[in-house]
Amino acid sequence: MAVEVLQHGAFHSALVRLAPGETFVSDSGAMFRASTNVDIDVSVRQRGGGLLAGLKRMVGGDSFFLSTYSLTGGSQGEVGLAPTLQGQIFRIRSDGGTPWMCTGGSFLGCDGTLTMDTRFQGLKGIFSGENLFFVHLSGVGEILVNAYGRISEVAVDGELVVDTGHVVAFEESLGYRLTKAGGSWLTSFLAGEGFVLHFTGKGRLLVQSHNPKEFGSLLGKHLPPRRR
Amino acid sequence: MCGVNFEIHGNPDYGELAVRLESGEKLITEGGAMSRMTPTLELKSRILGGILPGLARKLLGGESLFVGEYGGERGGELALSPALPGTVLRELLTGSELYLTPGCFLACTPGVGLSPKMMGFLGLKGMIGGEGAILLRAHGSGELFFNAYGAVIERELDGEMKVDTGHVVAWTPGIDFKLAGMGGLKSTLFSGEGLTMNFSGRGRIWLQSRNLPATAGWLSPFCVG
Repeated sequence: MAVEVLQHGAFHSALVRLAPGETFVSDSGAMFRASTNVDIDVSVRQRGGGLLAGLKRMVGGDSFFLSTYSLTGGSQGEVGLAPTLQGQIFRIRSDGGTPWMCTGGSFLGCDGTLTMDTRFQGLKGIFSGENLFFVHLSGVGEILVNAYGRISEVAVDGELVVDTGHVVAFEESLGYRLTKAGGSWLTSFLAGEGFVLHFTGKGRLLVQSHNPKEFGSLLGKHLPPRRR
Repeated sequence: MCGVNFEIHGNPDYGELAVRLESGEKLITEGGAMSRMTPTLELKSRILGGILPGLARKLLGGESLFVGEYGGERGGELALSPALPGTVLRELLTGSELYLTPGCFLACTPGVGLSPKMMGFLGLKGMIGGEGAILLRAHGSGELFFNAYGAVIERELDGEMKVDTGHVVAWTPGIDFKLAGMGGLKSTLFSGEGLTMNFSGRGRIWLQSRNLPATAGWLSPFCVG
């Protein structure tokens, strides 16, 4: 498998070359082209059954359908992936050591051999401006994440504060808690920062330069009100 | 003593600003602009230029009432990103002045003073022109960072220039503008250009290649539900 990120300004896309027997999994809808010998199988990923699944449906959010790409016949094939977000794609080579956590909307795709499940973030997830569930990936293989804007990699060793809405993915060796940006809650909200995520530990952290929510709230002022 | 250690990355599509503050150095930022920082930095909230000018700015200029002030004994690093995708600009003020249109301020060092300035009588010229009633006047000595939607066209003006409303980011005080229609009444109504700002004088002017109300107008038919 060869994964390549095609960097065209603010509009990245990815090209995955598959050899017979290999599979690649992506967020459904991300494929924009594929060779004719690529077979696509769509599945729904369980995000914990019972109460949690029901809660998730109540809260709403993105549907978590996955597409799995495999090859028919004995030749090579390729799949092109284009994210919905206008921004960069970052390629993570998971070495089988520390697992990775991707915030809900940032997961673009991964090697079919990786183990994928979802982790409930609860209130922390809701207030973080990220999703209620994070995607948890472990094993050896390629992972692709996408973002709104640029993606910067930060090697955290100690502590780092990240504003809500800017986290893309991080190694599970990092812990995070929801807290305030300033000395007091009042300061934090008055300065327009509100909640922030306080990361601690040692590991890699990917952050996005821009925040869809902030862009949306500026743009929304110029849009007509929604009809009920 | 007005410099600060900074880097600008990602222009012209997703520009962001990274700043390293030494012990005791401070940075004033637009509310909500911080995207990440080391926890060694302390945050204080301040009202820009006092309560009344602050309120005027908030109500008429569309900027936040409060700004953030980052600093502290231990120093640290922080990154700032504007809400709009585009370009981050830097200007070193050395006793000079600059007018910023609403929403364009990103950050400055404490040596830079920020005060509101009415655009025309009671801000009417600015409101009709669609840029907001109140400009932010940046003066003094220090680093000023501001942002634009899209790419930036910077011009040395010595004479006149027509600019479509919504595309002006900043200009220096040697320049002033008058509102005018583009061509006759028919062209003003039907060309989609509407009002223009006719700038004249001598100085520098910064324009942005995109216009948020125009983006919204294009997107709005697709936002159903």
